[in-house]
Amino acid sequence: MDFKALFMPVCAAVSNDQWSASNRWVTKTLRIMRLTAFLLMMTALHVGATAYSQKVTLAGKNIPIDKVLRMISQQTGYEFVYDPALVENLPVITIDVKDVPLEEALDLCFRGKGFKYTFKNNTIIVKELPAAVTLTVDPNVAPMLPPLIHGRVTDSAGKPLSGATVMVKGSKKGTETDANGIFMLKDVGDNATLVISFTGCMPREVKVNGRDEIVVHMTVSTSPLDKVQVIAYGSTTQRYTTGSVTTVTSKEIEQQPVSDPLQALEGRVPGLFITQSNGIPGSGMKVRIEGQNSLANGNEPLYVIDGVPYNTLTLPNIGYVLGGNGSNSGDASPLSFINPADIESISVLKDADATAIYGSRAANGAILITTRKGEAGRVTINASLQNGRSRITRELPLLNTKQYLEMRREAFRNDGLTPGPGDYDLNGAWDTTRYTDWQKVLIGRGTQYTTATVSASGGNASTQYFISGTYQKQTASFPGTFPDKKGSIDFNINSTSANQKFHLQLSGNYLVDDNQLPIQDLTTNLTQTMAPNSPALYKPDGSINWALDSNGNATFPYNPIAMLQVRDKRTTNSLISHAVLSYQIFRGLEFRSSFGYTNQHGSEIQTSPITVVPPAVQPYATRSASYGSNNSNSWIIEPQLNFKRSFGWGRLDVLTGATFQKNSLYGFSVNGSGYNSDAILNDLNAAAQVSPGYTSASTYRYNAIFGRVNYIMGDKYIVDLNLRRDGSSRFGSANLFHDFGSVGLGWIFSSEGFIRDHLSFLSFGKLTGSYGTTGNDQIGDYQFLTLYYPTYQDRPYQGATGLVPGGLSNPYLEWESTHKLYVSMDLGFLKDRILLTTGYVNNQSSNQLMGYSLPSIDGFGSVLRNFPATVENTSIEFTLKTTNIKTKDFSWTTHVNLTIPNNKLKSFPNLVTSGYAAQYVLGKSINLSHVYHLIGVDPATGVYQFMGLDGKPTFTPDPSKDQYVVISKDPKFYGGIDNTFRYKGVELSVFFQFVKQTGYAYPFGVIPGYFGAGVNQPTYVLKRWQKPGDIAPVMKFSTYEGGSIITSFFDAQASDGSYSDASYIRLKTMSLSWELPEKATKKAMLQSCQFFAHAQNLLTITKFKGFDPENQSTGSTPPQRTITVGIRLGL
Amino acid sequence: MNTINKILGLGLCLFFSAGCKKYIGIPPPTTSISADNVYTNDATAAAVMTGLFINMAEYSYFPGGGYTSTGTELLGLCADELKRVTNLDNLSKTAYYSNGLYSNMINIGVPDYWGGTYTLIYSCNSTVEGASASSSLTPAVKQQLTGEAKFMRAYCYYYLVNLYGDVPLILSTDYTKNSLLPRTSKDSVWKQIISDLTDAQQLLSAKYLDASLQNVTSQRVRPTQAAASAMLARAYLYTGDWADAETAATAVISNGAYQLDSLNGVFLANSKESIWQLQPVMNNINTGEGRTFIIPATGFDNFISTEALSNAQLNSFEQGDLRRKNWVDSIVWNGATYYYAYKYKVTLASAPLTEYIMMLRLGEQYLIRAEARAQQGHLSDAAADLNAVRSRSGLPPTTASTLPDFLTAVLHERQTELFLEWGQRWFDLKRMNAVDSVMSIATPLKGGTWASYKQYFPIPVYDIQHDVNLVQNNGY
Repeated sequence: MDFKALFMPVCAAVSNDQWSASNRWVTKTLRIMRLTAFLLMMTALHVGATAYSQKVTLAGKNIPIDKVLRMISQQTGYEFVYDPALVENLPVITIDVKDVPLEEALDLCFRGKGFKYTFKNNTIIVKELPAAVTLTVDPNVAPMLPPLIHGRVTDSAGKPLSGATVMVKGSKKGTETDANGIFMLKDVGDNATLVISFTGCMPREVKVNGRDEIVVHMTVSTSPLDKVQVIAYGSTTQRYTTGSVTTVTSKEIEQQPVSDPLQALEGRVPGLFITQSNGIPGSGMKVRIEGQNSLANGNEPLYVIDGVPYNTLTLPNIGYVLGGNGSNSGDASPLSFINPADIESISVLKDADATAIYGSRAANGAILITTRKGEAGRVTINASLQNGRSRITRELPLLNTKQYLEMRREAFRNDGLTPGPGDYDLNGAWDTTRYTDWQKVLIGRGTQYTTATVSASGGNASTQYFISGTYQKQTASFPGTFPDKKGSIDFNINSTSANQKFHLQLSGNYLVDDNQLPIQDLTTNLTQTMAPNSPALYKPDGSINWALDSNGNATFPYNPIAMLQVRDKRTTNSLISHAVLSYQIFRGLEFRSSFGYTNQHGSEIQTSPITVVPPAVQPYATRSASYGSNNSNSWIIEPQLNFKRSFGWGRLDVLTGATFQKNSLYGFSVNGSGYNSDAILNDLNAAAQVSPGYTSASTYRYNAIFGRVNYIMGDKYIVDLNLRRDGSSRFGSANLFHDFGSVGLGWIFSSEGFIRDHLSFLSFGKLTGSYGTTGNDQIGDYQFLTLYYPTYQDRPYQGATGLVPGGLSNPYLEWESTHKLYVSMDLGFLKDRILLTTGYVNNQSSNQLMGYSLPSIDGFGSVLRNFPATVENTSIEFTLKTTNIKTKDFSWTTHVNLTIPNNKLKSFPNLVTSGYAAQYVLGKSINLSHVYHLIGVDPATGVYQFMGLDGKPTFTPDPSKDQYVVISKDPKFYGGIDNTFRYKGVELSVFFQFVKQTGYAYPFGVIPGYFGAGVNQPTYVLKRWQKPGDIAPVMKFSTYEGGSIITSFFDAQASDGSYSDASYIRLKTMSLSWELPEKATKKAMLQSCQFFAHAQNLLTITKFKGFDPENQSTGSTPPQRTITVGIRLGL
Repeated sequence: MNTINKILGLGLCLFFSAGCKKYIGIPPPTTSISADNVYTNDATAAAVMTGLFINMAEYSYFPGGGYTSTGTELLGLCADELKRVTNLDNLSKTAYYSNGLYSNMINIGVPDYWGGTYTLIYSCNSTVEGASASSSLTPAVKQQLTGEAKFMRAYCYYYLVNLYGDVPLILSTDYTKNSLLPRTSKDSVWKQIISDLTDAQQLLSAKYLDASLQNVTSQRVRPTQAAASAMLARAYLYTGDWADAETAATAVISNGAYQLDSLNGVFLANSKESIWQLQPVMNNINTGEGRTFIIPATGFDNFISTEALSNAQLNSFEQGDLRRKNWVDSIVWNGATYYYAYKYKVTLASAPLTEYIMMLRLGEQYLIRAEARAQQGHLSDAAADLNAVRSRSGLPPTTASTLPDFLTAVLHERQTELFLEWGQRWFDLKRMNAVDSVMSIATPLKGGTWASYKQYFPIPVYDIQHDVNLVQNNGY
């Protein structure tokens, strides 16, 4: 049985009963190994080299053939060209020759094994012998056409592949493999060729050659076209998809020191525009896929985690320092409760073909997050530790004390006034020589970023597991400690029954977030522009410095440290769990059902000590605290039937299913006041008065049936149909249900013979188009009802509570629908080393559900209504992936994506009378600002002057007609460029993000020269008007807060002078890693060891006048620049 | 293939039958009541009007109480009653104080009286409609509720027409009909006010009721028949219907339930003088007026205590006027003496609730009747009414003997009697055509410039933009 042992590694996949007749088996095995004569791939072992000998010396036992060939190549300089499948299937060789001619050595390798070789220049081409000249036909086997052939398809490790398609080339005959990877086909000709394909693998063609039993090993494709992409209720590859899907892998996510997975997507996905609302950990993100579809309602994509829709409504809360995410009442980013380290991939689904199966929830696209799974094999333990610092990306240049006081004095001179008792900065109350860079002190501190992860995975062929734990800590940039700490556990178990029919997957993700925040972002006008000679924050004894005057009144009532005394401690526990059970009823038909349950529980304590207010005010103030508790649950059940069959000219994949979902939320808060000490604010029992805060309760139910038909014909033509019927509790009774659907078509023209023959440089070419409808129900619950809410009072009115109407309602609410058209072309050149995808998107969103603005005479400013208005989003998207250099030691790849979006209001019947005339303009973007046209500072008076609609300059423009300048804040184009260089174990990845846009710059905070809360100014105010005749961009300094100066100043705020170019190029991510060589890791008893340095937002190139061009806010912390170093170990 | 079809068919049927309306129908949230149910039940129907009073007692944009008493305070700043002492960073107060309002001031956070008032009108209209459509309300409750709603609607329009002039007349909750309404002439608005008040007079209970609208109480915090008469007297006075004004005022004055109280007793909860008060609903204060106007021992701050009585107001008191002594107090701050309104006497957070927000009181009714009688030529009857108010303040009888003199005396008496009460002064100046002569002196002292058009506030630009038929007031 030595013989058997010798062949074992190669033949492990062949079923055991075949060992019974070993002799017969050998011949058969060899026949199996006779594979297609087509050269699917060239493997260049060495290039050039002329001075090699023509003699070879070979010695060794059980050497794989590819190694033998490599040895020959090294000695002779010849390259070998062959089907790599041969390498897998050829037996190992035992050889011992010395200085034999090349041909002899080759004969030894190939003789009698059904192969021939031919020399061509410096290349040796190895091919299988034609069947006719096969030497080893066993007369006992297959004398006639076999009535039935059967076989098995496995991956390269021998694991059976279920659902692989086996087609007889050039016929309509085909089938797919069962759970054990087995297939059977009737009446297949002896000379027929089988085409075997499986998602993510290189398609294989195998000649039957009269065999009745065929084993095929599929190799994972190295082409990016064959990378598995997770889509709705399934998976696909770029090669076969007809939809617009972009996948970001764990590798790209890992390189970024971020705590929110959404941050990792910025700039990486064409058509996806993400804005971080501020730089505080856990803050909201504005996510728009292919533009803003809805005029007034939710524009959030649908988030799906491991197949379970994720409720993005954040829990209600008391504090509000975190920025909003665009539409929800909540503030923080709900995705910040997903640990980026647990993510395997994120798929962004954009067009109707990819999203219509999600129906009413997918008008704004879908983001599918897939968490990590275990793999069979030995137990692998990975640990990583990363630590670094963050700092705000940019600062404003502000006046120093000398410049500031000069401004103030000039303001008094201009006004003909002298400083009064309240002008502390000038009247001697404050030290006029003092200077503090408040920006640095209040928000410019470096913050800490730490994350540590340990994971273990392993399992056997039937059960695999993955488990990981992560700890993460990030701090905010304000003085004091405001840490955001997260701990999470993620696990995943996969199990398959022995007969491969029953499959179970269970995953869970539990995260605890402990976030401590102030309730106010110190990056407000108030603090970022404090007078530079404001007193010290603390007194020498460490207490808050109110800089009291002789009366005991605070001259520094806005001491920002006082604001930080109000603290908000928020703990959130998040559980996301998911189970999938599936059973194969018979070959091709599978019943599966997914079950999802998510729970988020948040508790919050906000404490406001008496020290928040100056001592003089303290007798009139009281200590207070608020306690919140919120719980949100959602469950979903999605039974599905999936049928796969190959027939006709291709393979058919039919899916049908139903969804039952319920989300519910309940939360409330309690306020306490009148505590007698700051030390016991956490105890509600210590409150003299207790009163209820908010109560929120809502239920959302959702029900749907859906279906998908996908047919791929001859690897050339693809048809994809999706249907969904949806019902949602958010709509009035007349409009509970709606149908959605899409059709997608694809043509892989590179598979056509005439293209292959004439355009051989084209390795891949596909044309796809899709059209369909999707809906949007992001309007909040109960909107169709007029509701009256109880009003709580400290002192009930006559001992009773009241009811107040919550707003106007409309019982006829309907779905908002988006018709999406997507056309794209994929081109691959030089064996897919260059891949270019060009897409055109046209989305028409109509039946707009709008908070229809009403004049306030109706009692409320708006009512929700369906409008016949149409918003059009078009965009042109490019993705270019190139492998610029690829050698054994060095590689350089480049990914570029570019999106040129265009958003416009296509139609809006009766816009003039709709109440939206002042907000929207037909044919223009829906993201507009209507502003005055600022002429500049009047040289005579030093006051801002505007151009009226009538063409005459005016100091007092009329808001009802003079706001005729329309500024679009949409990006003109955006994208990213990622370059990855790898030399041996060292990898450098440099990712630039770029955006071309106009934005609201740091405009006019307060009148330059005025004294109050936030009064310092950017240095550009130094270019002010000083005397009649001056031509200056900035108005005259003035202390005055009323009259014409203030109106013209605020009008200037609302003018085009407030907007500037907010385009930027940002070195978003830079990542350097060094993988220790195998030798070194072996010595250290490690599987792998990697050192790395990551940087996020490292560099920003912009002309923006303000803080950060991304969030364009003067009132919230800019995004952070984070640099970390770390180590990743495999044990 | 047949088997497959059958299984697929079966599966689809299962899914289809599962997709049911019943599943996705949800009841209203457990935290609110839907409009369909509100007016089917006495308690919830009454709670809507209670909600409105609560709103007024704390909502600061409408002439109501609240922490800063914005209603009284801003109109006081607007007229010649107040003087700002500290003025750190408060654009709202600056805008009203300098008579420098403009139409998009809401953009910079300056409140207007417009939207909040119309929100109250919505509740009134909703109650009028809901009560009339309901068949399950107790008749007495239905009647009182309709009366309260009409009374409050008239009260709201009284403010709108005085502050803005012509205003859209919204009498239903149907926004599809209301959204594009133009302004209705002042005359028609006044007609509606009088019609609503006349109805309210018929509908409202003569006795004070509790929140259930079914039991009598001593708490004077819901409008009654007398409140309707008192408002009616005001409305007739403003529209020059002297005879009816007299009749309406007489109905209140002759009602035994009301008497002129001692000066320090007027503003106490349920005082004998009060015809209608609002019960404060916030924990930390009694009335917003007390909290805002009384300057604490530590002096002015930059937050709440920012203004004192103006010199014009201070000097308006005659020698020996007890109101100068009892309703005005002073403080020395930074070496100077400042005077402040002291009608309400409680400012401390910890004090028990002893004062209510005064909405209508008997003193005003005497002054209304005095003016109405004088206008009808009954000067001696008029003098008797005027003197009733004067004698309480320790002042001698009026010496006015001609109609013009008498009207001047009434205006003056109103200034000293009704100062810093819901903009009475601001409205009187306009009503009696004294606004230009008084404000052209007062406004420059406040750092602004006066122009006659400023007697009407600008209509918020938001509404001008959203209702194309709405025309801005002249001058803005």
